[in-house]
Amino acid sequence: MSTLITLPPFADGRTGPVLRVAGLRKSFKQREVLRGIDWEVPSGRVIGLLGRNGAGKTTLLRCLLGLSPIDAGTVELFGEAMIEPGGERMHRIGFVPQTFDLFPWMKVRAYLDFTAAFYARWNHALAARLLGDWELDPKQKIGELSQGQRQKLAIVRAIAPGPDLLVLDEPVASLDPQARRAFMAELLALMKAPGKTVIFSTHITADLERADADITLLRDGAIQFTRPLAELRERLHRAVLVRDGGWPHAPVVAGLLKATLKDDEAQLLVEDADPQSLQALAAREGATLRIETPTLEDLFVELA
Amino acid sequence: MRAVWQLWLQPCRQLLVGALLLQLMWLVAAILLGCVPAVGAGIAGVAAMLLGFGAWFWFTMLGMCLRGLCRPESFLLPDFRKRLATAGALQAAQWAGLPALAALLMGVPHAVAGGAGILLLASVGLAASSARYINLLVWGLFVLAGWQPGLASQLANALLASPWVVPLALLLAALIVRLSLRAMLRIEDQEPGASPLENVQLGRSRARALDGTPVRRGKLARYIAALFDNTSQRAMERALACYRAKPTWRLRMVLVRRLLLPHDNPQAIALRLVLVAAIVAFYVLAVMHRQHFNAVAVGAYAILLGLARFPQLGRGMRQMRPNLADLYLTLAPSTRADYQQTLIDALVVLVPITVLGTVAYTGLGIVLTHAAEPVRMLVDAAIVSMGASLTALAVHLIGPEGGFGRGMVDLLVTLGGMAVYWGGYWLLGTLGLAFGGAILLLVTLGFGLGVWTSARREYLRRPPSFDAPLA
Repeated sequence: MSTLITLPPFADGRTGPVLRVAGLRKSFKQREVLRGIDWEVPSGRVIGLLGRNGAGKTTLLRCLLGLSPIDAGTVELFGEAMIEPGGERMHRIGFVPQTFDLFPWMKVRAYLDFTAAFYARWNHALAARLLGDWELDPKQKIGELSQGQRQKLAIVRAIAPGPDLLVLDEPVASLDPQARRAFMAELLALMKAPGKTVIFSTHITADLERADADITLLRDGAIQFTRPLAELRERLHRAVLVRDGGWPHAPVVAGLLKATLKDDEAQLLVEDADPQSLQALAAREGATLRIETPTLEDLFVELA
Repeated sequence: MRAVWQLWLQPCRQLLVGALLLQLMWLVAAILLGCVPAVGAGIAGVAAMLLGFGAWFWFTMLGMCLRGLCRPESFLLPDFRKRLATAGALQAAQWAGLPALAALLMGVPHAVAGGAGILLLASVGLAASSARYINLLVWGLFVLAGWQPGLASQLANALLASPWVVPLALLLAALIVRLSLRAMLRIEDQEPGASPLENVQLGRSRARALDGTPVRRGKLARYIAALFDNTSQRAMERALACYRAKPTWRLRMVLVRRLLLPHDNPQAIALRLVLVAAIVAFYVLAVMHRQHFNAVAVGAYAILLGLARFPQLGRGMRQMRPNLADLYLTLAPSTRADYQQTLIDALVVLVPITVLGTVAYTGLGIVLTHAAEPVRMLVDAAIVSMGASLTALAVHLIGPEGGFGRGMVDLLVTLGGMAVYWGGYWLLGTLGLAFGGAILLLVTLGFGLGVWTSARREYLRRPPSFDAPLA
């Protein structure tokens, strides 16, 4: 059953894209990880990049930043081709890698001083506040920090220069709930300033819901769609049909994206569901009908 | 300039003592140069020697630090490469440019050639720590010079007399720097690791250097690693099959050994011996031109090679600690001490392996250097390696947790083993093989067993640890 959604382009007249990717391909040895990515990220939005483990999220983010050479296609960041990191635009980019294992010999304070020296605008007060809030000891060596503490440090380092584009690769995976909430609060505060864009790869869908993110789904090495979460919620519904005796075949209805059959239930993920068609289907199949609005996690499970 | 200053500070931050000593050396050289008008140009030669030596070391250190800094994420720092180049140029100016200029102004002869030479040495230092292949090429030249010293000397003299010496030195230095930096500034295109949520690897394949950088492996190294991994895999499968067919205590212990010491099965041991033999043979024949070493040097080196396994084991076991919880649950011991005892029983096999390896290396050394008293050397090596490996294993069981402390203890055991070999060789020569050997055996084995028994008792008393080590 196909799960490919083809939704219309943005119609609300947002400003030009911060990032434009066309035909991006990337392989490691014989394995093709990204198979022709076409993607535009508008300015001023939080983009939640979703995909299963191994879908290529980290590779995509690294290719966007020039940290991994691409095999084919083009990447434009702030309107300039991104072949390798460099130039003035680096002042405008913040990045939190999936695992932060840099410079174990450096102390936290020395690391932040080292990093701050490279940036034209570095918010020392914000960095100091976050260190305090997240109980990071400036005198401790990075090598002695736990994975979660390193992740916090990576976030401080990425946010303090006040970047226009923040790229976060599973930034909250190692954080405790308090730190995760604090991080989300900082992220939302950052987004209050005009023109700030965040690309946020995560498996914790609740965070994306909190940030009211646009959702981009990466599957089979290609972007399946990028849509606002509210729009997905509005347009995608789950029709649950129940009847005794089970379902030998999946029922068919207009806008059907995915059908899951289990015992007496047939769960249909439907785009732009027409209640009358669904009622008619239920009557035809002799089943009872229940229409649900799926959570983002449900959608991820169904579509990824 | 703040970023350049931060980059300049890195050697001081990472290797403070070395950096201070080298800066002191520079200061002394500068003072000596300042004395030229009063003392004469002769003193400039001493200054140049100090600067050359210092520049080589300083840039070796700088390369080590930069290798740690030049990670893909660092390239996202604004103008990282440009600032790195500025910092490098300032340091080249400090060590070569400014002294050469000062010497030139004071009328010191060959000042420019001296500066170019220092710059060349600095570039060789940089390559030593950041570009292995360039470094091999440079040292290859020294090896060739060792083979044909007359020709090398003629060539060197001709070059020094030539007006091209300065541009050639500068060109060569620029080439070496460019190649070194290219290796350092290249963004490695590696497939990203697993997500932290699903990352349960042992970390064996993600070895890191002291500066935290992933260890870069060439094709040959990867091929050899794959050979070891394949032999380990086969040995594990064989042990598993044998245990399934006949689940005895002995076979169970073999299985535990295959898990804890995957590279200590017979095939892997043979492979290791062959590889070390090949490298040592190449070194002695090609690099040292088959010089005649005395027996103490050969045996001590064999002890060093034999004991080299223990620091590796220490690091590996610490990395594996969280995964040993699986072994603990699988073994389902009645008490925690039973589990610790199983580990001890599994690890003690390293003692005969070390003895075998040391004797084999000594034998190879005897053949390569035409040693005069092979039996005396072999007996000495066998006895000393037995005691030393027991001590090394004991240290591994209860030694310090920190990397520095453990490193110091490992160093002490290795140097101690080498010194005891020297003493043992003298004892065997003085008292004869039988009597001297008996005394040596009594002393070394007594010491080794004493340390081992105490360590074993202490280890059994301690609760098992499954905590991941700090990086």
